[in-house]
Amino acid sequence: MKPVLLAIAAASLAAIVLPRPADATGPFEKRLTPEQQIVQALNRLTFGPKPGDIEDVRRMGLANWIELQLHPDRIPENPALETKLKPLETLRMNLAEVVKEYTPGQPGMTMAIPPPFESLNTLLSNEQRRKVMNGTAEERTEVLKSLDADKRKQVLASLPPNVISYTPDFKDEAADAQKERQEQLRAEARRRNPQLGDLLNPDQMAAARSNDGKRVAALLASLDRGRQIQVAAMLPLASLAEVPELRREGQRSRMPRLVASEDLREAKVFRAIDSNRQLEEVLVDFWFNHFNVDATKNVASLGNTPNLGHLLIGSYERDAIRPHVLGHFKDLLLATARHPAMLYYLDNWDSMAPGSFEVGPFAPVRGTVNGVPNSILPLFGQQAHGLNENYGREVMELHTLGVKGGYTQDDVIAVARCFTGWTVRSPENPEFVFAPFMHDFGEKTVLGHKIPAGRGEADGLQAIDILAHHPSTAKFISRELARHFVADDPPQALVNRMALTFTSTDGDLRAVLETMLKSPEFFSEGAWEARIKSPLEMVVSAVRATGGEVTDAWSLVQKIADMGEPLYAKLEPNGYPDTGETWLSTAGIMARINFPPALTSGRVPGVSPDASRWKGMDAPAIARELLGHDPSAQTLQAIETGLQGRDPAPALIASLILSSPDFERR
Amino acid sequence: MLTRRFFLRGSAMAMAGMGSAPLWLTRAAAAGSLKNKTLVAIFMRGAADGLNIVVPFGEKRYRELRPTLAVAPPSRQDNANGGPFGSTIDLDGTFALNGSMQPLKALWDNRQLAIVEATGSPDPTRSHFDAQDYMESGTPGRSVPDGWLNRALPPEPGASPLRAVALGNQVPRTLRGEREAIAIGNAQQFKIGDENTASILQSMYSLSPDAPFRRTGTDAFEAMKMLASLSVGAPGSGPGPGGPGRPSYGQGGDLGRSLQELARLIKAEAGVEAAFAEIGGWDHHGNENQQLSNLLRQFSSAIAAFCDDMGDRMEDIVLVTMSEFGRTVEENGDAGTDHGHGSMIMVLGGPVQGGKVYGKWPGLEKEQLYEGRDLAVTTDFRAVLSEVVRGHLGQNDLSAVFPGFRPGAPLGLLRA
Repeated sequence: MKPVLLAIAAASLAAIVLPRPADATGPFEKRLTPEQQIVQALNRLTFGPKPGDIEDVRRMGLANWIELQLHPDRIPENPALETKLKPLETLRMNLAEVVKEYTPGQPGMTMAIPPPFESLNTLLSNEQRRKVMNGTAEERTEVLKSLDADKRKQVLASLPPNVISYTPDFKDEAADAQKERQEQLRAEARRRNPQLGDLLNPDQMAAARSNDGKRVAALLASLDRGRQIQVAAMLPLASLAEVPELRREGQRSRMPRLVASEDLREAKVFRAIDSNRQLEEVLVDFWFNHFNVDATKNVASLGNTPNLGHLLIGSYERDAIRPHVLGHFKDLLLATARHPAMLYYLDNWDSMAPGSFEVGPFAPVRGTVNGVPNSILPLFGQQAHGLNENYGREVMELHTLGVKGGYTQDDVIAVARCFTGWTVRSPENPEFVFAPFMHDFGEKTVLGHKIPAGRGEADGLQAIDILAHHPSTAKFISRELARHFVADDPPQALVNRMALTFTSTDGDLRAVLETMLKSPEFFSEGAWEARIKSPLEMVVSAVRATGGEVTDAWSLVQKIADMGEPLYAKLEPNGYPDTGETWLSTAGIMARINFPPALTSGRVPGVSPDASRWKGMDAPAIARELLGHDPSAQTLQAIETGLQGRDPAPALIASLILSSPDFERR
Repeated sequence: MLTRRFFLRGSAMAMAGMGSAPLWLTRAAAAGSLKNKTLVAIFMRGAADGLNIVVPFGEKRYRELRPTLAVAPPSRQDNANGGPFGSTIDLDGTFALNGSMQPLKALWDNRQLAIVEATGSPDPTRSHFDAQDYMESGTPGRSVPDGWLNRALPPEPGASPLRAVALGNQVPRTLRGEREAIAIGNAQQFKIGDENTASILQSMYSLSPDAPFRRTGTDAFEAMKMLASLSVGAPGSGPGPGGPGRPSYGQGGDLGRSLQELARLIKAEAGVEAAFAEIGGWDHHGNENQQLSNLLRQFSSAIAAFCDDMGDRMEDIVLVTMSEFGRTVEENGDAGTDHGHGSMIMVLGGPVQGGKVYGKWPGLEKEQLYEGRDLAVTTDFRAVLSEVVRGHLGQNDLSAVFPGFRPGAPLGLLRA
């Protein structure tokens, strides 16, 4: 009875998942086997299968599993993940809090503390001081001679060089006094900003410089708390891999803004490895790259706020991207357009209507500067202000219509004009604000739509509306999604169907994904192993496949950057190009080949592989376990021939599989 | 120091014994001379502002349209706009280098630096990514999968696997194509940690049915073996440039590191014929002058340090810099500039007829500007590159390198 029911259930699931193909000719029309479909779904909707994932999906039923991943709120999150994210406190802070807590203290603190010596005002009387500083050489010499040796030394140390040169009698004494004063200052500076050698004895210094994570950890454990952080702040980050908390505190005492983005980088890797809501993580990665912001961009005109982007990036991903990845595209677009991270990154924050800052008290005063007539005099407030096209262009070229979407240079300017006044309140209080005095209230025409004069913030809102609903946007977004989830050059028929869903559901991204995930193309041979893993995907899938336990993600973040994908640090707004050829290079291959040996032998700090799971398994079995399918004959052949006559540890075999071309694809 | 020539004879025999001497090894061991010419392409990504890099200080309109951004002429070295960006280095009475490019002055004076003005792509696109694509593939208006520098290399079975090198993580479009090109980030790290597994992995990749991985993997392993055979100097070892008054790689940022890597490969006689490096961050939509100064300092230090390091070898080396397009002549509302059209190209090296500004300057009056807003292009970038490719690399089949382009009269960039 039961087998029959199971068969019926399987058949009906198959019927849901696999619409009958017409003529199976091209690779995108050749259906995958049910077993392959499970692996395909895991490869594309997650960051790579973990041991046991295939069985879990088979038991639940593929269609059910996919449906569940499309509704992350129905998936209880991995409690171990919550524990790992806890120390990364900026993840939970709103923008105002992050800015307040992670902005460096006032520079120049040393200036506020008085220097450890007396000034001329206290050493000399007014008359004496006048004679020394402004009197004749005779007067000066007379005063100096009248002082006792000690006081004279202090006075000479404080005199400026031109005064001393007019007092030749005391030249040598002055030189000695000045030298002594310099040493006094140096000692004081050392006291306030100690070098490593001032805090540690020679044995401790050797341990600190050893670059051996365990020795460094032992050293730090032996110090008291305050000193721990002081020392940790002076060591290279790589040597602190065993003590993530101190590493973070040390960096926070030195460059706190960078800690905020580092939290996000480590969180990204933790989540990719441990989250149960895998599809959500894959989508956050995709959409962040689509709406790329570079955390490291310095907004140069904000003089004393370098590294501001680092503070904003966490909120950008959490508040602007993540909530909308399965929602409506227009909401995602609006959220990114309004977020301070994007406003700074693509310069919209200081784009304003031409001429808006050239009236009244700010009207430029012209004159001759350096012989050049009709120059703007460099008076306070007289900086050039006007329209900045950057966001206007990129929002169409990269975010919505695509470069061939049918916009013109006039549209770029019109869109930029719509967004004038969309700015940030201040670096200390970075929230969105609409500034009417910056806005260009004139009439505009965007992609054929007339936007009447005299409105305000609504201009930008209407521009968003126009862009989100433009037919090119549906096609562009569908193509990008199909490229990420199906193949580098996705079949046009599929893209068209997805675009149709996009248009008819007002940009419901979940619906578009459903169209794609239920398509024959998604589960076809054309899509099988068609994508080359990005460095993030390669590293994370290797850790997941080996069942590795990660207590600290810092080293993994570094490895991913070494392979060419520094997280949240892509300079250009188009993000990392989403095709295999981006990552397929000789340097890339070398880096990727070198990662698995370090991983499986436990040489990646913070990551513990579990070699026991491969105990007693031969090479084909280990390969099947790691890949989810049989390896290529060539890979197996190379391994078996190369290891012949040896008794290889399972970890070595696993490392060879993970370095093989087979594992580079998903 | 083990030179390539010495090693090749030995190892060709050793490897032949193992049954698999690569063709390049046996060929090269047989050949006598290993001296080759090198062409280095440096791409400035983000549309560098040619007008503030090579300043047309005599132009009245330059100052009128850039009230905040105009860099002060050489005669007036105190800054015009209240900031430290106000100096220029006179080149020929009409043009001047931005003051942050002091390291390149010696090259200009020694006639190893030539500048081509008002050059660029005829294609009207102002999209960075499209324009870079067209410039790298050498086919404005069309996107093709390979690049001009790859096509410029003649077919040469048995050429060194390090013949075409991209200094960085990826092979850019410029170097993609039929000739094997590899990406090397850091030559020291370009190897498999464990030698036991290296041969297993090499076999895996060279026999893999996965064609892209088979190709790239084979290239990688060949390059790795080649690098292992050379004494490529370790970072920081060996005499580098530096010392008081000499340009230093250290000031050159990432480009400095890349060129230093290239210098090591050239000194080890690795057979590099075409090299590519890039420097990004030129997209100055706001607050341009400060960022430009910093970037130009890096840019010029890196290039000057490389030329200094190469010394006599510069006779065989030509560098050419380019950017996808220039920027608007008029400044925008944020003390920056937006995407433009014409820009400048620098050509450096021993064989260059330097100390001169080439190209026809179109002027900056409104009717002389492209679309009324940008510097016009009077010399197609392909004309500049064609001359260098023919004159330096000896590639005469230019219609294959720049299909659809017919160069006009040569500018005379290289010494005959």
